[in-house]
Amino acid sequence: MDDPIRTEMMKHRLVSVAEEMGARLQRAAFSPNIKERCDFSCAVFDASGNLVAQAAHIPVHLGAMPLSVQACLESLMLAPGDVAMVNDPYRGGTHLPDLTVVSPVFVEGMASPILLGVVANRAHHADMGGMSAGSMPLSQEIFQEGLIIPPVKLMMSDQKNDDIWRMLLANVRTPEERMGDLQAQLAANQIGGERMRAMAERFGVQPLLAEMDALLRYSERMTRQLISTLPNGCYCFEDALDNDGFTGKPAVIRVAIMIEDEQVTVDFSETDTQRPGSINAVYPVTLSAVAYVFRCVLGLDIPANSGCLRPIQIIAPEGTLVNARRPAAVAAGNVETSQRIVDVLLGALAQACPDRIPAASQGTMNNLTIGGWDQRHNRPFAYYETIGGGIGAGPQSNGASGRHSHMTNTLNTPVEAVEYAYPFRIARYALRQKSGGNGRYQGGEGIVRTYEFLQSAEVTLLSDRRVTRPYGLEGGAPGQPGHNRMKQNGEEQDVPGKCSFPVEAGDELTIETPGGGGYGIK
Amino acid sequence: MSTSGQSSQNVWVGIDIGGTFTDFVIYSSSDQSLQRFKILSTPADPAEAVLQGLAQLPHHPGRHVVHGSTVATNAILERKGARTALITTKGFRDVLHIGRQNRPELYDLFPVISPPLVPREWSFEISERVDCKGNILTPLQDQGLPPILEMLRNDGIQSVAVSLLFSFVNPTHEQWLTKRLRDEGFFVTGSSEILPEFREYERTSTTVVNAYVSPVLDTYLGRLEREMKPTEFHIVQSNGGRISVAQARGHGVRSILSGPAGGVVGARYLAGLAGFTRILTYDMGGTSTDVALVHEAIHVTTEATVGGNPIRVPVIDMHTVGAGGGSLATVDAGGNLRVGPQSAGAQPGPVCYGRGGIIPTVTDAHVVLGRLPIDGFLGGRMRLNVEAAQQAFDEVSRQMVLAPRSGLDVRQTLALGMIQIANVHMERALRVISVERGEDPRETVLVAFGGAGGLHACDLARALGIPHVLVSPMAATLSALGMLAAEVQLDYVQTVMLPGNTPFEIIEQDLQREGVDPDLWVLSRTVDVRYVGQSFDLAVPLTSMFCEEFHRIHHARYGYSQPETPIEIVNVRVRAVGHVTPPTIPTRPLGSADPTAAQWEDRPVVLPQGIQPVPHYWGARLRPGHEVNGPAILVLDDTTIYLGPTDHAEVDTYSNILIQVGVTDG
Repeated sequence: MDDPIRTEMMKHRLVSVAEEMGARLQRAAFSPNIKERCDFSCAVFDASGNLVAQAAHIPVHLGAMPLSVQACLESLMLAPGDVAMVNDPYRGGTHLPDLTVVSPVFVEGMASPILLGVVANRAHHADMGGMSAGSMPLSQEIFQEGLIIPPVKLMMSDQKNDDIWRMLLANVRTPEERMGDLQAQLAANQIGGERMRAMAERFGVQPLLAEMDALLRYSERMTRQLISTLPNGCYCFEDALDNDGFTGKPAVIRVAIMIEDEQVTVDFSETDTQRPGSINAVYPVTLSAVAYVFRCVLGLDIPANSGCLRPIQIIAPEGTLVNARRPAAVAAGNVETSQRIVDVLLGALAQACPDRIPAASQGTMNNLTIGGWDQRHNRPFAYYETIGGGIGAGPQSNGASGRHSHMTNTLNTPVEAVEYAYPFRIARYALRQKSGGNGRYQGGEGIVRTYEFLQSAEVTLLSDRRVTRPYGLEGGAPGQPGHNRMKQNGEEQDVPGKCSFPVEAGDELTIETPGGGGYGIK
Repeated sequence: MSTSGQSSQNVWVGIDIGGTFTDFVIYSSSDQSLQRFKILSTPADPAEAVLQGLAQLPHHPGRHVVHGSTVATNAILERKGARTALITTKGFRDVLHIGRQNRPELYDLFPVISPPLVPREWSFEISERVDCKGNILTPLQDQGLPPILEMLRNDGIQSVAVSLLFSFVNPTHEQWLTKRLRDEGFFVTGSSEILPEFREYERTSTTVVNAYVSPVLDTYLGRLEREMKPTEFHIVQSNGGRISVAQARGHGVRSILSGPAGGVVGARYLAGLAGFTRILTYDMGGTSTDVALVHEAIHVTTEATVGGNPIRVPVIDMHTVGAGGGSLATVDAGGNLRVGPQSAGAQPGPVCYGRGGIIPTVTDAHVVLGRLPIDGFLGGRMRLNVEAAQQAFDEVSRQMVLAPRSGLDVRQTLALGMIQIANVHMERALRVISVERGEDPRETVLVAFGGAGGLHACDLARALGIPHVLVSPMAATLSALGMLAAEVQLDYVQTVMLPGNTPFEIIEQDLQREGVDPDLWVLSRTVDVRYVGQSFDLAVPLTSMFCEEFHRIHHARYGYSQPETPIEIVNVRVRAVGHVTPPTIPTRPLGSADPTAAQWEDRPVVLPQGIQPVPHYWGARLRPGHEVNGPAILVLDDTTIYLGPTDHAEVDTYSNILIQVGVTDG
């Protein structure tokens, strides 16, 4: 029987391990993407790779990280002092820039060391090589997107595995930054490992392992109890991504959610097949989106761990948009398709419990990468950012404006920080008026951000909701779709949602992000 | 006044305004006497209690008052600041509304963003642009100002914040605007005056906070000054230093977190007298617990947030958790026992107070465990109802499945569990403030104050490997005492992005205005350094060895360094400290180690290994030199100390209780 006092204490202790790792990763990292934008997650796992405790970082990493950890545990013989890394989306990753560093935590045993658990962190690197700077390209197969790293050993017996480091750094555009960020990821795991070993010493190995199990059961119990508050039934919904950047037609995601007492089945069988473009989501991304939605709908207070997912069964046939088959391109699956999966899940659940579900938020992350050769500093540069938009209105409140929604919560890069570090300037950064959907409660406003280029560069855009619109609920109007445009030699023209193009000094790119859907009839 | 010190024939009064009481500590430098008293606070008009208290003192022409004000904080939390407008570079009026574009909670489908202090309709733009090198790309379009002025007047705006892009590199445009606006009679804050540091959102937010609170603070201080005349008047700032009222007035943002600062300053001072310079302060109150780090100096941060508004001026790096004496026990959907963050507050308070509380609090847990004597609370003036507390625990235990620990009944198990869970929350806070700041808690002393701290301090220290706990007999008025120990302290920053220097004359003028004897100033310069390409920096003392020092600190803090990578200086910081002579704390020589004279009686107390009779001592009868072995309960006037079976306490010459913490809890 689980002890309500010991489990509660261990819950806080384990989360604080993950938080301490996060604090160190953020402080120690090199790139703005990790330091300023906090695009990373840290977590503690048991010896089987179940996520036991996670700090409140990026939702898209929650469901996916255990699969990365499991891939490393399965394919490598990890010994004390070893550290693994992986980014392969088909081995538990999400997309190539998300690099996961996995450290087994061993304690001395009677005969041989005992695997106490695993600490791991995942961080979005600003470049992983491939056809476009930033490694978020308009690709048609994964090989174009960058360096694919299967589970490999980054460290062996506390020594750098130099061959792997050289191999990695030779394939990326900004090797110094990558090295700094990787060092920070190692430093984060190091502190996590130390904390876990200290806890094993303080409480004993067996009691600690037992409490890790208890914590999974605890989250499972909470999840089951909260699912039972939802009405039984089957709820269907569909929504689409605009296109995949190559073929013009919308990519439709269809879901049926079956709620049966304490159990849920999420069935994506009717979803469209995978596409040539990079909007394909690998299964871990879909899992993360499902985990995120149920965590939100069921309440803020369930500790995020693998136990939350036990009462939820997912049916996602291989070869569809929500479970891509190798070697489909996947760069945008993690950042764009994940948002649409959330939209369809919430749309379905709105039928089950309308009082708990908001209208659609912007439904895109507006991924922008700018790369090239920085003539001022005579070095390559790769810049990546995502832009907030409107949040969907709720049954009792207007949607927030100019924010990231659902599967991301990264910070912006300050206008002044951008100008110090890169050969472009931000000319405007404002709320986009009248972009939120009307209703009894108003959808949040999107954002307008204008970039002025100071020298030639290459720009890649992966954005959605430029055609389809974030839906309203209960009669509320949809939000305005987003809009991208370029000004070159005084002439302005529209730019598609997903595209890649060169720019020259003096050019201006303006991105208008979607507004949130409205709620209720005005 | 000619010197800064309390050495002249002066009376110094430290005043701390708390939620319930306003505390006064009076120090007379002529006879080195120290008095303390409390009166009830007057929350509707905090100045009232200050004036009432001062009226109880004999008038003294050379009287100085040092005061921590919550007026600025409350103006923000209650949204009762000045009608404030903002002027930004064209294209950026929404800077406060967008913020950093993140939402406060990840798993919340209905994120609530606290509205900025300046509504959108009072945010204005002016056409101009300066680049990151300070070159003017677009000259300021001065014809844009008259229409703005008209709108400011029509809307009855009192205070204006001006925050232009890169004004910290080239402030020409911003200075022109601030001058024009001041000429028009507005209270004006320019971002390059208050925080010449990059990152536009944080700088603008800091500027707006200053604009919003300063007029309110000004009114409050003006009233006090008028009514207290000819008293000299000083304010404790959020960085733990003191400044004169004249300087505080225009810089309200600098005193915004001055309330809790006094306690940390006081703890640092008393611990320093006892010989400890590396301490963790631990202030456990009714609803929350504040912890801070002192390593010689008080650890400050520039990453504070007040009511959702970032402020980037130095404030004491304090971490707060929602666990205190009034934290409530609940059972969650997964069957776990939770402690806090809900609190019984002052009303109804803990169940044992008998004021209508029915859910057990941490204080009730101590009563049930026998660690808080029901007839010793507040010097015996308030008797606690142990039966009511026990029944409340029975009610909670019915909602959960809990096997009693050996030797204990269910309610005692539950009460002990509550203490343990509250300790985990506070242990986490102490780890954040020490380990995450690169400080090893095992090399510090835990200084406990606040009503409930003494009951938890030894267990917390044990969990963190902290060898000593210090509890001062002045714990209850530590904050007011701290006000008198606060040094004059002024902080300056400038973003440079390369080697640069700070205008020394400004510092000199400011210090002269504080009346600090030039011989008593200490200037310390630090630089914020990072590797080129990195986006956060580390503060390093500016010496000829600062590069090596940077690599060393980087390695210590983050586990790696890259000596071959070039570094850059982001900000230059100067701190000017004017030393004051703090109050003399009375001492008595050490006497016998035998504490029998202070012994009260033995009573049953729940210890980790079961119930046993434990000696209780009267704190007021403990004398310097006395030694007490745990387990024991020491009942002081304003706090109670629990010594575990392996803990050992000694009373030092200042009457501090210094506890050597045992390694095991039994």
